Amino acid sequence: MKYSSKLFLLLCFTSLQLQAEDLVSSIFTDMKQFNVIATQTKQNEHYQPYIISVLHSKELEKLGISNLKEALTLVPGIDMATDNFNNQTPIFRGSNPFAYGQSKLLIDGVVVNNLFFDAYSEYLSMPIEMIKRIEIIRGPGSKVDGINAYAGSINVITYAEDFKGFESNDKLVFKYGSYDYRMGGFVKNFRTKEFMTHIDFYYQKDNKKISSGPDGLSQGSLGAANVGLSQSEKAPLWLDEYSLGLNVKYKDFTLKARILKHKQGSAYGINLALPQDSDRLKLPSYYAQLGYAKKINDFNIDIKAGLQYGAFDSKAKLVPDGANLGGVVFLDGAYGEHYAKQRVLYQSSYVKYSGIENHQITLGYRVTQEKTIAMTSKLSNRATGDAALVDYTNTLPFFDKDAHRNVFALSLQDEYDVNDKLSLLYGVNYESTSYKDAGFEPRVSLVYYKDFKNIFKAMYSCSHRNPSWQEMFTQNNRARVGSTDLKPEKVTSYELAYIRNFTNESYLQSDVFYLVNKNQIYNSATDPVYRNSAKTDIYGVELEYKGHIFANDEVYANYTYLDGRYSTDGGKKYNLPNVSHHLAKGYYIYSFSGTLSLGSTLKYVSSKDRAKGDARSKVKAYTTVDTSLNYKNRHYNYTVNVSLKNIFDTDVRYPSPQNTYVDDYAQARRTFLLTLKKSF
Amino acid sequence: MIRALLFSTLLIQLLFGYNYDDLVLKAQSSIFPKIMLLDKKVQNKLIDNKIIYTIVYDTSDYETALHVKEYINTTFKGHFGKYPYKINLVDFSHLSPNTEASALYVLKSSTDNIKKAADIAFLKGIISFSYDVNSLKYGLVLSLMIEKSTILYLNTKYLHAKNIDFIDSLLPMVKFIDKNGI
Repeated sequence: MKYSSKLFLLLCFTSLQLQAEDLVSSIFTDMKQFNVIATQTKQNEHYQPYIISVLHSKELEKLGISNLKEALTLVPGIDMATDNFNNQTPIFRGSNPFAYGQSKLLIDGVVVNNLFFDAYSEYLSMPIEMIKRIEIIRGPGSKVDGINAYAGSINVITYAEDFKGFESNDKLVFKYGSYDYRMGGFVKNFRTKEFMTHIDFYYQKDNKKISSGPDGLSQGSLGAANVGLSQSEKAPLWLDEYSLGLNVKYKDFTLKARILKHKQGSAYGINLALPQDSDRLKLPSYYAQLGYAKKINDFNIDIKAGLQYGAFDSKAKLVPDGANLGGVVFLDGAYGEHYAKQRVLYQSSYVKYSGIENHQITLGYRVTQEKTIAMTSKLSNRATGDAALVDYTNTLPFFDKDAHRNVFALSLQDEYDVNDKLSLLYGVNYESTSYKDAGFEPRVSLVYYKDFKNIFKAMYSCSHRNPSWQEMFTQNNRARVGSTDLKPEKVTSYELAYIRNFTNESYLQSDVFYLVNKNQIYNSATDPVYRNSAKTDIYGVELEYKGHIFANDEVYANYTYLDGRYSTDGGKKYNLPNVSHHLAKGYYIYSFSGTLSLGSTLKYVSSKDRAKGDARSKVKAYTTVDTSLNYKNRHYNYTVNVSLKNIFDTDVRYPSPQNTYVDDYAQARRTFLLTLKKSF
Repeated sequence: MIRALLFSTLLIQLLFGYNYDDLVLKAQSSIFPKIMLLDKKVQNKLIDNKIIYTIVYDTSDYETALHVKEYINTTFKGHFGKYPYKINLVDFSHLSPNTEASALYVLKSSTDNIKKAADIAFLKGIISFSYDVNSLKYGLVLSLMIEKSTILYLNTKYLHAKNIDFIDSLLPMVKFIDKNGI
């Protein structure tokens, strides 16, 4: 009896021990799981070895932010630029405002920059309701897994990111606003134990037209003989597009695919002559990426293969009636149809090895094949001036129909936790292409966590931007001529950052940066050939605060100061052209109750100097204020948002290059937007 | 004027609630009940053979407290380990030494309210968890933060408290913190 009691107690104790060990193991697993979620959702953004801002659509929707472009204008260091196609581009830290591709846009980790411009203007209209979170990394520190981010990268996370146990994100959205803007869309996720499918869809259109001022002909873009034909009307900036996104996850396999049919007005004209209202530019984008990710012991394997199709598809009146081009008079004007379809195939394999204590070593490659697969070039008869279209695809193409490029990128990096407080990331990337190579590019960053409240970072990195397709392969065009001799644009960046966390929800992030940019690619109306003609040194400070004044509000504010020098090769140095030195942005959301909130955003963008030789006065500074009222009915789970944008009707203009549209590119004035959203 | 402003600020806080990080709330809701079971003296804290997990909230944070309760119920489905549990939602104004509780989970509130909760937990000899790590300096026992990774903070003062005795294997998982370190 005595022994059996002892045995019973021993068994109880052993059982308790086992239960305790199970519990500890379960807690450890939970902590790891939340680490993964925190890293994926950038919850622990301030500990990462780069400078990052994260915008959550939960807040953006309350502010009446309509789309990705509007959201990006809130980010420190980002200004917007556009061109005669209305190819809108976020400019990071004043880096080459007339280039595209200095930043990369990724949707759920897939790069969507089009090959033609290396831009992603067609995705900037993506409705905010389709987006869960936007992660914006400033600086080349964002270079990961063979993807070159030169000045920064934007990672759009859709609601395909779905964690077990978190609330559903299924929704139906309708919007109506100024310029007869209409939008409808939905998000739907299906989930079983091993299978997850996400679908999002939206359709939107508007009839936006904005006064352009005198078109480029007034500045002699088509020669002195045509100056008198310059028009000064409204530029067709309308939009008509739909998109269907599909993400599937099954065990270790993923499929990410999207169809975007984007059509827009021809804006300011290919040849800088105002087009007709119905003239259009299509920038379709289709992609599909298959992925396989598996953890085997200390190895994390990540294999991806994908394809992307894009096109430049323009149908427009190119010059007005009576234009005289090289002695040929086009009595009924000249028309053109330009079509170039591109295909990108890529495959990447990366292995992360964590078998050495405190190290995580990543080695991998990415191979890319870029190719123009179809091209047509039709114009009004250049010999007779007859308006009827003639096929010049073989005789006078606007684009090199055999354009192709192969890119091979190799990267090696080690994330080394020196101790609990200090981590070091170092690595090197190598890239070669079938044209000019970028070569080796090193990267080193240090993150020091003094404690939860104080984090310090120091980063050094090099990166590059390969010339875009249009910079290399455009031909027989008066506004732009490509060159395959172009070298990649190169940047070396030095960044220091300090983050002060006040609580889980409030922080102040500050950083200073110095960027040395070489081989900057420019052309001009007088010399349309693209050349590596400039060098810029840019330095600045960024401050970003997020927190509260009261318990029931949210405050976000940032300020950027940047300056620098611009010089042509070996030439004199000038102020940075077309760059604002001061950017101040922020928002305030005040919740009257759990259901009703009032939000307001404020953006200040200082004036911009002109390029050397451009006699126009500076591009004027502007301040815009938006306001929004948001009502959420918790019982029926619907939201109504009414917003008024640019409430003081401020004149906002993006700079135009010299000898093009003399009054710059005017943007929308006061507008309204009504949003209805039903969540399920 | 200043008094009016302070009063308004206080009133606004009373009416509309504090801000919470959803992921931190979820992590705490998943992990804190399990930590409670690592107390060797958990048996002594049962009430009617049940664990009473009491969420203490500011009036304005009722929705948040309810959200936490729902998440815990979804995650644990009625049992913390082998013990059935019940979740009580208690407003700070109703919290007293007589409040039934095997453990307290304390949301954000004024310093006085946090101190009151910490004192009551100490008096009753039960574990107190805090949403806000800063509240540990007022006497609460454990908190969790999402930093570079998920970190558990244990108030050093309670490491050898007479009524709380965590199993040894928990200790390597926590960071000890005293009121001077917060």
